[in-house]
Amino acid sequence: MRMEPRPVSISQRLTRMNMLVSGASLLLAGVAFAANDVMSFRDTIVKTLAVQAEMVASNSITAVVFDDAQAATDTLKGLAAAPNVVSATVYAAGAQPFARYERDAGTTGLPPLAIPEGQMEASAFAPDAVRLARRIVFEGRPVGMDAIQSDLSALYARLRRHLLLTAAIMLVAMIVAWLVSRLVRRQMTQSLQQVAALTRRVSESNDYSLRAHAGRAATEELTTLVDAFNDMLSRIQERDRELLASHGNLEERVATRTAELNAINNELESFSYSVSHDLRAPLRHVTGFATLLERHAGSALDAQGRRYLRTITDAAQRMGTLIDDLLAFSRMGRTALSKRPVDLGRLVEEAQAEVTDRINGRPVDWNVGPLPIVQGDPALLRPALVNLLSNAIKYSSTREVSRVEIGVSSSTDDEVVVFVRDNGVGFDMAYASKLFGVFQRLHRTDEFAGTGIGLANVRRIVQRHGGRTWAEAKVDAGATFYFSLPSTGGFRDGANDEDGSQSHPTG
Amino acid sequence: MSDLSVARTLAGCALVAVALSAAVDAQRAAEYEVKAAYLVNFAKFVVWPAATRPRGDVFAICVVGADPFGRALDDVVRGTQVDGRVVVVRRLASAGVDDDCWILFVSGSEERRVGDVLRAVSGADVLTVSDMPQFVGRGGMIQLVTRDGRVRFEINLAPAEDVGLRVRSELLRVALAVRPARGPRP
Repeated sequence: MRMEPRPVSISQRLTRMNMLVSGASLLLAGVAFAANDVMSFRDTIVKTLAVQAEMVASNSITAVVFDDAQAATDTLKGLAAAPNVVSATVYAAGAQPFARYERDAGTTGLPPLAIPEGQMEASAFAPDAVRLARRIVFEGRPVGMDAIQSDLSALYARLRRHLLLTAAIMLVAMIVAWLVSRLVRRQMTQSLQQVAALTRRVSESNDYSLRAHAGRAATEELTTLVDAFNDMLSRIQERDRELLASHGNLEERVATRTAELNAINNELESFSYSVSHDLRAPLRHVTGFATLLERHAGSALDAQGRRYLRTITDAAQRMGTLIDDLLAFSRMGRTALSKRPVDLGRLVEEAQAEVTDRINGRPVDWNVGPLPIVQGDPALLRPALVNLLSNAIKYSSTREVSRVEIGVSSSTDDEVVVFVRDNGVGFDMAYASKLFGVFQRLHRTDEFAGTGIGLANVRRIVQRHGGRTWAEAKVDAGATFYFSLPSTGGFRDGANDEDGSQSHPTG
Repeated sequence: MSDLSVARTLAGCALVAVALSAAVDAQRAAEYEVKAAYLVNFAKFVVWPAATRPRGDVFAICVVGADPFGRALDDVVRGTQVDGRVVVVRRLASAGVDDDCWILFVSGSEERRVGDVLRAVSGADVLTVSDMPQFVGRGGMIQLVTRDGRVRFEINLAPAEDVGLRVRSELLRVALAVRPARGPRP
């Protein structure tokens, strides 16, 4: 099981940093001083040894020259005053010791150093000893050599003392650093902790009237932080007040506007409804009396008179259709939506039947894919589908066979997109945005009959269901109309078997 | 005193041995090589008084009596100098102050006449050296003694200081024995 690391507080981090920095610098300084001192002490050891060797050499000249080993031994005994000298030997001409001194009897010591030609002395360091040899010169001629070996106990004692001292200083410094940082961090973090606690309280209680106070010992940065924090709180408080005020205002204003808009809209709709409704009565008179006139005086009229009469009748009928459509459009905005699961496949079948009735046996090549069950009002969706299908047939009537394709182009969890595609005259995509507006027509009435309300109605119905409508087309290459509806995610059972992709030309 | 008698006995024994054996001859030659070297080295540790009498350009080591060194002394002095003077060897039948001797080696052959020899140079700043027994006892300055096969020496400071010769302390330190001066030096 892995534990989540607990966040470290600033004060702990400060203390650690403080101790780390002071410890590291002290250690470095201590080591550097010790190294420097040990190096110079090494030099001192060699120098001291060289002085001792020179004294032995000069005091041994006569002893060597006059072959007096006892005198040389006496000279060497003087080295007993130097406690570090382990052994010393005087050599006459050969390698055989002439006289020897040993601090502790029986010390064998290291073999004598060879002094390079033309030099007076040579020295060498071993891990626990330093050796030095010096020529004994008489009258310009080397007559012998003395070799001194010293132990390094003084050096190591010094090194030990240095390390102990460094360690002691480090310990004391660490304790002092810890104490100081504890003192400083208490002063410093007090304010920080206060700000942190205050932030928590503000975020929990949404009380923006709270204020932080920089401590007596706060640093400049902390004071700035606390001031900035308080400043921020004041601003938030101010904003909050304004926001609350404007929020109240806004709701009030929205409610007022909505009420106004609703009133205007209702007024407008009832106006257009009553206008449409009231227009029908005189129109019925026009149609009725035109028909009566034709029946009554048709034989008396000449061909031109009859044509006038027929034009009156046709125009009146067209106006009737227009008024009917307008009334339907108006109703569409007012009637309540009663949503339930609707089998779009079944609805398309019904729309197909309705449309087929109106086209007088014109051959249509239907191609209907599997369609889903959607949530909607069938009383509204049916006229929308009828409109789309009749449009498809209407605008492909110039073709030998109208080909109409219905299916699902895409289906997500949220919505299902249904398309209706024809092989008709299509339209210029530049006008695609005008397609679904009221009285927006891309073709002349004498080319294709219509009131210019159908697609506006379709859009209104689809939008009331929470969907969208759009179209794609090319001039003379057919058009595809899309509408989306909120998905229920279901298809009619066995839809594929019954209606799926079935193609049956009617008529 | 017993030391000296022992030395004498030993010397006597050595003489007998020399007479008997050629090997002892060789040993004796080696001993005199050392003694020759000592004679030269003594010059470095003795300070002669400044110009008490006119001196020549050479530093002569004079041998009075039968020369025991052979070529050894000549080999040692060759090329050496003392105070800028070339060291030479003089072999004398008898000693005298007129000679420019700095060091006078009295051969063992002069044992019976040693008093005359020393008298001949008395008052002159000449360092007298000999390996004959009782040499320092009879007024000589340095007596070479062979001890345990090593050549050592005794110093008699009184006659040396009488003529202004100063023997350096280093030499005194390695001397086998030092007869002190008569009193505080002037």
